[in-house]
Amino acid sequence: MNKEQIPVKRDYKPGKIATAQPSRWRDLGVSLRGFWKEFSQIKYGVAGLILLAIFFLMIVFEPWLIPFPEASERWRDISYWDSNPRNAAPGWINWFARQKGATHQYLRDPILEVEEQARFKVIKGTFSYDYRFDLPPTGLSLRGLGKGDLRLTVRLERPDGQEIELYKDSLRRRNEDELKLPLGGLQAASTAFEFGQSYDSAENVKRVNRHMIRPYNIFFARAQEGILLKPEPLPGEYKIHLDVVAIGQDAYIKDPYLIVSGRVFGLLGTDNSRRDIWSGVVAGIKWAMFIGLLTAFISVVIGVTYGVTSAYFGGWIDSMMMRIFEVFVSIPILPVLIVLSAVFKPTIWLLIFMMTVFFWTGPVRTVRSIGMQIREETYIEAAYALNASHARIIFKHMVPQLIPYAFATMALAVPRAIIFEASISLLGFGDASIVTWGQILHDAMNGGAILQGLWWWVIPPGLTIALMSMTFAFIGFSMDKILNPKLKTR
Amino acid sequence: MYGRYAVKRIIYGIITYMVIIFIFSMLFNTVVETTLRSLLEERLQGEFLQMDLGNYSAEQITELKAQRRDQLYRMHHLYSPFIVRVFWRAYNTITFNFGQSTNVTSSSGERDVGMIIAEAVPRTALLFTVAAVINITLFIFLGIKKAQKAGKMFDQSTSIITMVVFGMPSWWLAMLLIMFLSYVIPLFPSGGMFSTPPPEGSWARLVDLLYHMILPVLTLVLLRAWGGAYLIRNIVLGTLQEDYIMSARARGLPEQKVLYGHTLRSAAPPIATMAVMSLLISFSGGLIFEGIFSWPGMGNLFWVALQQYDIPVLMGNLAVTTLLYMSGLIFLDLIYGLLDPRIKVGGKA
Amino acid sequence: MGRILEVNNLKLYYYTARGPVRGVDDISFHLNKGETLGVVGESGCGKTTLGTALLNMPSPPGRIVGGEIVLAGSDILQLNEKQIRQQIRWEKISMVFQGAMNCLTPVYTIEKQMLETLQEHREMDEAAAGERIRKYIAYVGLSDDVLRRYPHELSGGMKQRIVIATALFLEPEVVICDEPTTALDVVVQAQIINLLKELKEQLGLSFIFITHDLATEAEVADRILVMYAGKIAEIGTNQQIYGQEGQIHPYTRGLLGATPRLREKVAKLDFIPGTPPNLLHPPAGCRFHLRCPVVMERCSVEEPPLKEIEAEHKIACWRCFDE
Repeated sequence: MNKEQIPVKRDYKPGKIATAQPSRWRDLGVSLRGFWKEFSQIKYGVAGLILLAIFFLMIVFEPWLIPFPEASERWRDISYWDSNPRNAAPGWINWFARQKGATHQYLRDPILEVEEQARFKVIKGTFSYDYRFDLPPTGLSLRGLGKGDLRLTVRLERPDGQEIELYKDSLRRRNEDELKLPLGGLQAASTAFEFGQSYDSAENVKRVNRHMIRPYNIFFARAQEGILLKPEPLPGEYKIHLDVVAIGQDAYIKDPYLIVSGRVFGLLGTDNSRRDIWSGVVAGIKWAMFIGLLTAFISVVIGVTYGVTSAYFGGWIDSMMMRIFEVFVSIPILPVLIVLSAVFKPTIWLLIFMMTVFFWTGPVRTVRSIGMQIREETYIEAAYALNASHARIIFKHMVPQLIPYAFATMALAVPRAIIFEASISLLGFGDASIVTWGQILHDAMNGGAILQGLWWWVIPPGLTIALMSMTFAFIGFSMDKILNPKLKTR
Repeated sequence: MYGRYAVKRIIYGIITYMVIIFIFSMLFNTVVETTLRSLLEERLQGEFLQMDLGNYSAEQITELKAQRRDQLYRMHHLYSPFIVRVFWRAYNTITFNFGQSTNVTSSSGERDVGMIIAEAVPRTALLFTVAAVINITLFIFLGIKKAQKAGKMFDQSTSIITMVVFGMPSWWLAMLLIMFLSYVIPLFPSGGMFSTPPPEGSWARLVDLLYHMILPVLTLVLLRAWGGAYLIRNIVLGTLQEDYIMSARARGLPEQKVLYGHTLRSAAPPIATMAVMSLLISFSGGLIFEGIFSWPGMGNLFWVALQQYDIPVLMGNLAVTTLLYMSGLIFLDLIYGLLDPRIKVGGKA
Repeated sequence: MGRILEVNNLKLYYYTARGPVRGVDDISFHLNKGETLGVVGESGCGKTTLGTALLNMPSPPGRIVGGEIVLAGSDILQLNEKQIRQQIRWEKISMVFQGAMNCLTPVYTIEKQMLETLQEHREMDEAAAGERIRKYIAYVGLSDDVLRRYPHELSGGMKQRIVIATALFLEPEVVICDEPTTALDVVVQAQIINLLKELKEQLGLSFIFITHDLATEAEVADRILVMYAGKIAEIGTNQQIYGQEGQIHPYTRGLLGATPRLREKVAKLDFIPGTPPNLLHPPAGCRFHLRCPVVMERCSVEEPPLKEIEAEHKIACWRCFDE
């Protein structure tokens, strides 16, 4: 009934198939197919594979999925993000929220009037902004191209007729340069305070802290009592007037546009460095996948080889190998990794290396005990009698039987690696040249996201860690279920 | 028989610990020595400030300082070859001589690292032991239930939950719980062991302590109870397939006895292993977790030491953490030996 | 010599994902008081299933779907689980398991396990129970010493004896022995068989002795039941089956032919070609017909009934009816 396959050493010519199958690899092929059949029956296993496929697709299509394709490389480059609002909630929140926040908008193509005089030009522009939200924008920012000597004034005209001067200053640009003028800061705060002072009660004026005022909450609020402490939104058509005096023949201002910093932005909002969180999270997928898979793969390969070799040789080699193993197993991985990272400040490669150094111990015990059982089988004895080398016996006869187990172990090792990396990044010791979910959470923690309830900053990165881990857990557990015959329930 | 096994295991553990500390010493030697040098310098300056140097010239003072520095360096073996230096650092660590911290202080203002750590250990122990006890009870209970109703709705749904939270970082869940249950809805304290200022009276203090423990323990339990239940379910299911269980039933023993007396008792070694392992893992991984909650235990000490780059505290803490972790492993082996008669009593007649 | 056990039309099917596998398919036989009924057949023919069925403990996913097991007058299949557990199992029928390697819980001492079983069934204080246990340990030829031990400390033979002692100490009426000697070496095998015979005489027990080893069966059995593919192929006395004269079922003949004999020189051992049939979809007609050396056309169409061809000798084979 059992066609015992005795391994035979032959001279293989390429393309010629030996008539005696020399190894367990063919068995592996057959068993893998059977394995797949069973696997496809487990619902959550299939779900895991689908999720995995989705993640891979997201990696492949990343540049098209995110509005900031260079998110990963330029995560720490402030200039890349500076047209975004700060700490903005996700855009879709407006569907559910009682108080709708102002959306992030770009006001372009103002109505421009250019008046040319002998030595200067007067450029007047007007931007229209229709404000119908409950929560006003967090700021306004003037952008454009300019050259030469410029004197700018920006005024906000409210629906109730009041005008507020937002900005008044001179600039000089030798060559055509991009102008980035945030219309906020201390200047705006005091302007806002003065504006509000004239409408609010003396009591409120005393109670309010000048330095804690959010100017735009006031600029867009009804001019009435309570404007300083509890501003009520003033909806309507707002106009922003830009007056530029460009002195000199070749001074000019070109393509001015206004950024209305919204309360809400994008799919997942922004953080306090104005970075689009959706871009960050999606960009992080490939890193998590990379770190997880590579660490899991290498460490399981090492672990399985180590365990099988130890089992195969037995005797003092086995004892010695297990002693070394015991040393590694007795080390609490995370604390040591953390301290190592703090001291050596690793790049992603070094981090993967460090993790592998600890993770390989995982499969060793089980693999070794299975290996010891396999070693007792007669075909191993036969192979040895036929002068097969140690390496050949180990790799052609013992290892293939462990491959399903190795895969299951790998699947369950990936989440571990991802979480370790996230933990290290959370503490601030991650590789700063890439963006990982742990790093985003580190910034969230330090940026006071928890205190301020900026859930869109805290939930998505952690959630994706959990989701990716869940994916591998689904896959790993279903493999485990198939491979462990004692667990068949029916 | 068991005694010999136990002693062997403990001795073996001690040796392993020494090897590990030696490795640590090697890895961190540079960093530790830099700190040591600056600490010695600090000491040197301190000594000289207290001396009456009126009669000496500037050159003489420098000369004296150099001599004293030389002496100190010799005391600390800083001129010796690499291996010797590593050996002495390891020796210090193993004998719990951790030195002084550079920044961190204990609650009484001391800078003795040993004392700082000694304060932190019981706090960590308290938190994790309480969580572990709750967890273990839960997952034995859940696990048995799952095994009894294997394959049915309860089993399947709890298994799915296990997989869903498999990769959820405990510190992230902590962040969420704090955000929602502490800031958004101020229900629980956001951290620390006691309120500031701590309440008067031991009863009130106890209640305050428990109140502060709720969120951390809740986080740990929410995540870890499932994995354990899943594993216990598997172990129990596996045991139920054994011949001796069928034999017990055939002998007319009631199902209760078969389940608890025979199945569970036979499965006790792997279950105990699993319970202790889960405690150890949650301890090792929970260090960040403590930081999020500002729970003043060893994990938090790591945080603080990291932020302030206080190397002596880091090294000392690392050594003690490793020691505790290893003790847990040794404890595990000893318990396993007690529970499994094959080890307790020994080999064949 | 009354009948102590009567089994009528017993059916036990295993309900697997692929459909019902007919482990035991309409079996009827009886056991007389004081005799040993041997049950033989290849692996997978249903012998062990029969054993577990008699205790009403089919291994999941098995279920008894029909028939009756009449013990001392009443059909035990009519009782509920609690009644069976308390009154039947071990009280009236007990079992000596195969591979006693693993039949004893590894974490308790022998004494504790035996005490537990004894006290579960009898109101006995520890002293009385201990006495009974020691009596039976002595019967099986072991010293009191073993009581303090854990199962892993004992050899295979010792464990088998303990299993026997445990099966007997409630003095049940029927003892089922399922391959009790298969896992043991030859010397110990002989000892155990002798022991069983002795105890049967001494205590007046009735055995059902299940094995695939025909040689052992010849030693112990008074009557023999040959099973094939979940059905009875033949029942007869020891002499009728093993004696070299008279009719026997072709399957039985094949089994005997495959057994080497001490004093006969054979050029080649006969064997029965093919493999046992799939019990999920058993073949039509006689289940053995695909492997039978003397198959007729009728065999592939109609299943032969179990017919008595001489006193105490029943065969289910068309060929045997004709001649």
